[in-house]
Amino acid sequence: MSSNAKIKGNAHKFGDNINTDVHCSNKYTPGLDVDDVSKIALSKLDEKFHDSFKMGDVLVAGENFGINSSREFAVHVLKKIGISAIVAKSYGRQFFRNAINNGMPLIECDTDGIDSSDAIEIDLETGKVSVADKNFERDTPPLPKEVQAILGAGGLIPFLKEHPDWKLN
Amino acid sequence: MGHTIAEKILGSHTDAGTPAKAGEVVVAKVDSTMIHDARADGAFSAVERLGVDSLPFAKNTALVIDHFSPPPNAEAANTHVAMRAFAEKHGARLFDVGSGICHQLMPENGYVTCGAMVCGTDTHSTTYGAFNAFATGVEGTDLSVIMATGKNWFRVPETIKVMLNGALQPGVWAKDVTLYMLGKFGAEGLNYKAIEYKGSGVSSMEIDDRMTLSNHAAELGAKAAILEADDKTTSWLKAHGAAAPNPVTADEDANYFNSIEIDTANLTPQIARKHLIDDVVPVPDMTKQKINVALVGTCTNGRFDDVRQVAEIVRGKKIAQGVRLVVTPASRDIYLRAEKEGLIRDIVEAGGSVDSAGCGTCVGITNKLIAGDGETVITSANRNFQGRLGNYESDIMVSSSATVAASALTGHVTDPREIEGGQWRAA
Repeated sequence: MSSNAKIKGNAHKFGDNINTDVHCSNKYTPGLDVDDVSKIALSKLDEKFHDSFKMGDVLVAGENFGINSSREFAVHVLKKIGISAIVAKSYGRQFFRNAINNGMPLIECDTDGIDSSDAIEIDLETGKVSVADKNFERDTPPLPKEVQAILGAGGLIPFLKEHPDWKLN
Repeated sequence: MGHTIAEKILGSHTDAGTPAKAGEVVVAKVDSTMIHDARADGAFSAVERLGVDSLPFAKNTALVIDHFSPPPNAEAANTHVAMRAFAEKHGARLFDVGSGICHQLMPENGYVTCGAMVCGTDTHSTTYGAFNAFATGVEGTDLSVIMATGKNWFRVPETIKVMLNGALQPGVWAKDVTLYMLGKFGAEGLNYKAIEYKGSGVSSMEIDDRMTLSNHAAELGAKAAILEADDKTTSWLKAHGAAAPNPVTADEDANYFNSIEIDTANLTPQIARKHLIDDVVPVPDMTKQKINVALVGTCTNGRFDDVRQVAEIVRGKKIAQGVRLVVTPASRDIYLRAEKEGLIRDIVEAGGSVDSAGCGTCVGITNKLIAGDGETVITSANRNFQGRLGNYESDIMVSSSATVAASALTGHVTDPREIEGGQWRAA
């Protein structure tokens, strides 16, 4: 886990109740693949998102990120864009699971005070989220170590290839 | 400290076999699974990424063609071709066009029983909790690893106990309970949690209504919505070829995250107004609202008792001029039973139409039904996001099937209790 436990990047801030089926999937645009959708995803919410995005940046949001979205396609799109982690106040249940299964680090914490373009740092192992320039710091309970193990392997399928016996620890 | 039903079922499926604890992450055996045609491509590509030769647990998987039934385009038709080949190769059972909706077919075909662990590639997989199973929605990656290993990882959810106090009045249904809860707690208001529904409000409900209760909990964000089993549960399961039920109850001193009480005895019919499933008001407050399209069906309310509610209300009458009423039974068995009992005829003679079994008019991805600009749809489906039925310029409202049928008759939102036949009750 240590190799990618610490994540640094610039924040891109979004609001509450982002439905990733609408903003990061092909549910309503059948025929588009992950590459196609990754070029337009989230732009209805922030038209400058793709211009200002740099590989490894961090997506920051409010309550219920991924609400009502069951599609893991959305996580494939967010990974394709190059997002290194997501920080939100809370997540839609199935989005949260899909993110872990597909190796997208995410953490749940109060994101009030974080703004777009803040340089944010996340330590998945300890659960600390910080913006050094602002003296912003949040300590959150880290993800269960079993979930960290799946994330550390890059998702559930790579994890099972390494651990076909399902030993999580 | 005792344990909830979720903690007991998850724990009994681990290697240790002892009750799990909320917050823990466990690896648990999964007894049966479901993949429908809107997720099959994702599941099959996950199987490819997993790179295994055989899927020994695919025999416990139902592959259901329901969202695109019949397929409206070549992409969907090709998915169906792949599903038939996959079922043949791996020993899964395929339910083809016209069989019905996954959440009806799973219990009807013996895939669900008390105490079981069930996963499906659909948020409304919570439905099977009506049969005292731990059932939850997952995605293709999960299905691939379950078919390969028979197991998956789960975070054990905290449980909220919901006491439903008193039998519902005639004309009031489980859908009114879930809508009322959505109005009170908000969409995703019980996110990540398991719900245990208890009390006389549940025990007095028939199985069809109980399935609505567990199904529509998905809109509350629930990971599972589990009911205790009683004689109605076990005899229904027996009649549908389920494995011997092993009912699971919570301990007296179970550790609940929260407890909620609802006065179901005095509940009135409820309706979610346009766009937001948690913008809920009592039906009597909305009776000035005109409606153009009236839909009954989906995994939430396409069951036999729903078809019967419609027939009882419209029998011998005509629906309002300009209103389109479409009823979609949730399974072929329901369709045939409704046909045998003359309910299909009642609905068609009244000016409605009946579609073949499937997800039908639930979501606009299939182009089954599109309302015109400025038109209002009232539906017994589960969701009412703007544009869900394929036109952002139309509005969708969600209610019970009885309220939909009563509204189809008058042309405006109508309390079924005020209409002859609207007080019909399942017994």
